[in-house]
Amino acid sequence: MKKILLVALSFLLLSGVSYAQQTIKIGGIFDITGATGDVGTPYAQAAREYIKYVNSHGGVNGKQIDLIDVDYAYKIPQAVSAYKEMTSKGAIAILGWGTGDTEAMAPMVAKDKIPYISASYSEHLVFDKTPYNFIAGTSYSDQARLALQWIKDTWKDKSRAPKVALLYNDTGFGRSPIQDAEDFAKKIGVEIVDKEIIGLRDLDATTQLLNMQKKNADYAINQHTLMATATIVKDAKKLGLKTKFIGLNWAFSETLIKMAGDAANGFMAPLPFALWTETNLKGVQLMHKVHKEISGNDDAQPVNYTQGFISAYLLVEALKKAGTNLTGENIKNVLETNKFDMMGLSADFAYKAEMRKPNISAKMYVIKNGKIEPLTGYLKY
Amino acid sequence: MEQVVQSLISGIVVGSIYALVALGFVLIYKSTAVINFAQGELLMFGAYICLTLVTTLKLPFLVAFVVTLLAAALLGFLLERLFLRPMIGEPIISVIMLTIGLASLMQGFIHVTWGSDTMVFPAIFSPEPLRFAGIAISQVYVYSVLAAVICLVLFNLYFRFSSSGIAMRAVANDQQAAQAMGISISKIFAIAWAIAAIVAGIGGILIGNINGVNTSLSAFGLKVFPAVILGGLDSIPGAILGGFIIGVLEALSGIYLDPVFEGGTKEVVPFIVLVIILMIKPYGLFGTEEIEKI
Amino acid sequence: MAIKCGVFKTTYEDDEAIWQTKASKFWITVLIVSLIIFPFVFQDSKYLLHIADSVLIAIIAALGLNILTGFTGQISLGHGAFIGVGAYASGYFMNQFGLPFLSCLLIAGFITAFVGMIFGIPSLRLKGLYLAIATLAAQVILEFVFIRWRVVTGGSQGLLVAPASIGGFAFDSEFKFYFLALAFAILAILVAKNIVRMKPGRAFMAIRDRYISAEIIGVPLFQYKLLAFGISSFFAGVSGSLWAHYIGIITPEHFNVVVSIQYLSMIIIGGLGSIFGTILGTIFIVLLPEILRAISGPLSSSYPILIDIFNALREGVFGLVIIMFLIFEPDGLAHRWRMIKNYWKLWPFSY
Repeated sequence: MKKILLVALSFLLLSGVSYAQQTIKIGGIFDITGATGDVGTPYAQAAREYIKYVNSHGGVNGKQIDLIDVDYAYKIPQAVSAYKEMTSKGAIAILGWGTGDTEAMAPMVAKDKIPYISASYSEHLVFDKTPYNFIAGTSYSDQARLALQWIKDTWKDKSRAPKVALLYNDTGFGRSPIQDAEDFAKKIGVEIVDKEIIGLRDLDATTQLLNMQKKNADYAINQHTLMATATIVKDAKKLGLKTKFIGLNWAFSETLIKMAGDAANGFMAPLPFALWTETNLKGVQLMHKVHKEISGNDDAQPVNYTQGFISAYLLVEALKKAGTNLTGENIKNVLETNKFDMMGLSADFAYKAEMRKPNISAKMYVIKNGKIEPLTGYLKY
Repeated sequence: MEQVVQSLISGIVVGSIYALVALGFVLIYKSTAVINFAQGELLMFGAYICLTLVTTLKLPFLVAFVVTLLAAALLGFLLERLFLRPMIGEPIISVIMLTIGLASLMQGFIHVTWGSDTMVFPAIFSPEPLRFAGIAISQVYVYSVLAAVICLVLFNLYFRFSSSGIAMRAVANDQQAAQAMGISISKIFAIAWAIAAIVAGIGGILIGNINGVNTSLSAFGLKVFPAVILGGLDSIPGAILGGFIIGVLEALSGIYLDPVFEGGTKEVVPFIVLVIILMIKPYGLFGTEEIEKI
Repeated sequence: MAIKCGVFKTTYEDDEAIWQTKASKFWITVLIVSLIIFPFVFQDSKYLLHIADSVLIAIIAALGLNILTGFTGQISLGHGAFIGVGAYASGYFMNQFGLPFLSCLLIAGFITAFVGMIFGIPSLRLKGLYLAIATLAAQVILEFVFIRWRVVTGGSQGLLVAPASIGGFAFDSEFKFYFLALAFAILAILVAKNIVRMKPGRAFMAIRDRYISAEIIGVPLFQYKLLAFGISSFFAGVSGSLWAHYIGIITPEHFNVVVSIQYLSMIIIGGLGSIFGTILGTIFIVLLPEILRAISGPLSSSYPILIDIFNALREGVFGLVIIMFLIFEPDGLAHRWRMIKNYWKLWPFSY
């Protein structure tokens, strides 16, 4: 029985391989049902929809894109297995997701020469050690630096330095910006008074927040996704904390308002991406068009949709520029030697080979009266 | 000081939920000798069903509460009839594995039906906290502990004075003798599972109200093990006490140990304490010692 | 080929052989040869080789668990954590001290055996479920150590581990690693088979069946229980070490309670107390999610909404499969295999 299944499986794979000749195969490792599925689902949806859109409008240089779509539920071993499956089937680039698995597979993708565009914006992925990784947004560390700089610049009390707490979770994603944030804070004279760990899907953060309250933090920087953030702001409201919360990009989205209600008011974030409602931007108009055409409806999408859109858009543009030389090496080359106009969805992307940061730019947004509003122009540090 | 009290209160509240879940667990074990790894999923089920009734069908909370309990009882009946009945007589490890499989199945079902995002109950209890000796306690907490305590008292009476309660204790004690006295084993099994599902469901509704509902609620099922073993696998008062102790232990480790170890001690400390206590009292605090004969 | 119907052994050696008939010796040789040829046939499919490698590594750990749970009757919910101990130990010793792979493997095995025996101490006083929960405590405690003892384990960011290599030859691809894993798996199977055939095995089974009687006839309970924990953990440690050097990066998530439950299901579905069953069960459990994904894959590209439903369903289907097995085939795959074999043996006289 097992042997028959093995043979059947191999036929499936072989047929996949032959189909590859007429199409461009890319892999999509998404989290739909896992611990970060709350932000992963709109991201994946955007990527899928944009690729379908591209396919229905002539594809890339006449070839259709075949997206090998896998939900790895934020489990690293599943990501590894999915990656091997995709490359087996001939994928030449991957749209990845989580920090833990992306960092884990960096040596693998470097050896296989497969460009890996990740939704993880960890700064560990931009340097020499990970030559084939491309983060599709401002790095977490840079977001934290921008936030810290903003805190310093807007701090009015001359008698002491601002006190900041770092709230994060115990995964590669959570830990990614912490050391860089601490180093930068020291440099600019901001005091990091507390660090608390709250799990990705925790329903209760009272203990950690009480510990934070003891240290009298003025601000708390959150490196979380939506679920934990909702818990944190709700519990903070319950406890009547005076601390102001700033989230990095995954902690901040329209969905947070739905999840936390009133407690979300006052929450800020240095967001590198455009919102669905910013229809004055060309990129946002394109997003609306794609979503309407592929899904048939006009529903507002959270900012995570923008992020997925950006990643897919970047990959498609790189594939277009790669022309007929569709190898991983060439795509990497294309990504590193070109400037990509993101049409306002985020600042333009320009990767440099030694430091593959697309850009360093974000605007501070705040949630006021149940809506997201811009608070500042482009931040700098 | 205030923080310690706040944490402790939170610990007692969570402990009352553990006590409820542990109660259901011990009930099943006492009457059917089955270790139910799916207890946490039963809790989740209660939370999700009540949530749907309140938000989608817009039923008033009390009505939804009662309907959820009925649904939970039904679920308990079904599980027993469909999955546990064929396993009578199988070695214990197979039954354990079966409940593990059940847990997976229910998780998958809940995932498909309700998705994996956190959902919240609309504000049913007034957010104004009660002030008591300078400490603020949110009303939800008070109702939780109250509900748990009421359940526990009710069940104690049930087992002491009602005929089916006594029948259950008889079956738990000696299946064959009970059968000889004319007690219907299958009915008792079904009732045991139904009650366990109800109690877990109540726990789920309460904790869902406090913190929101998502699929990680089933972790309560795993937490219940230290509580149950601590109290003694076949002791109902032990399970309840165990639940509260574990809740308080977690709160205490949150206050005192988390800062030292950078967090995460809440999960480990109950287990460490458990092992220590087991070495001294191998059958838990109140469990009956098994006297084994050849 | 004719299968003998009677016992015609003339030496003790012949009597004690694992493969008793010429026929079974023949088929075993065929199996081994085809296992060796297998990767050459599927050389291009990294994915298939990856699955094969995962199966082989898992078999080693599952054998360990079966020795403890199937043969000695001690339910262990902490096997995933023990595998982790082996993985981290092996990685640590290679990274810190630059020891060659085989030494790291052995050290990992022994360290894990030691840790396993420590967590087996409660078995002195605890029985049945109480012991099972104590092993669950081991799982939780060890997981905590993995996450927090960042100096050794790298915490949740993971530990980078160099690929396995013997004498300068690096097994750094799925293809090359297959042979290493195959060698170790075969070795593990032979060792396990022999352990259970000899005195320790008989002692284990006595403990499982009637431990009071076993004690009366002179089986020192505590020593043998500790030995069972130790041997089981040694296997887990070796398996963990192989896994670490294969995957290249290990995080605590690889060794959580879900993994422990998976191994339990492997041995239960395969058949407790059966070496052959362990192999079948492991193959089944490792292949199941891949098969489910292979089925749901093509279907979901035609019906995209189904992708998300299938992903959620996978968990449920996994549970359902286990349930069905337990209800309809409680003695496991090994039993079913024996039934099928007997059927063919007696055919057409199966009455």
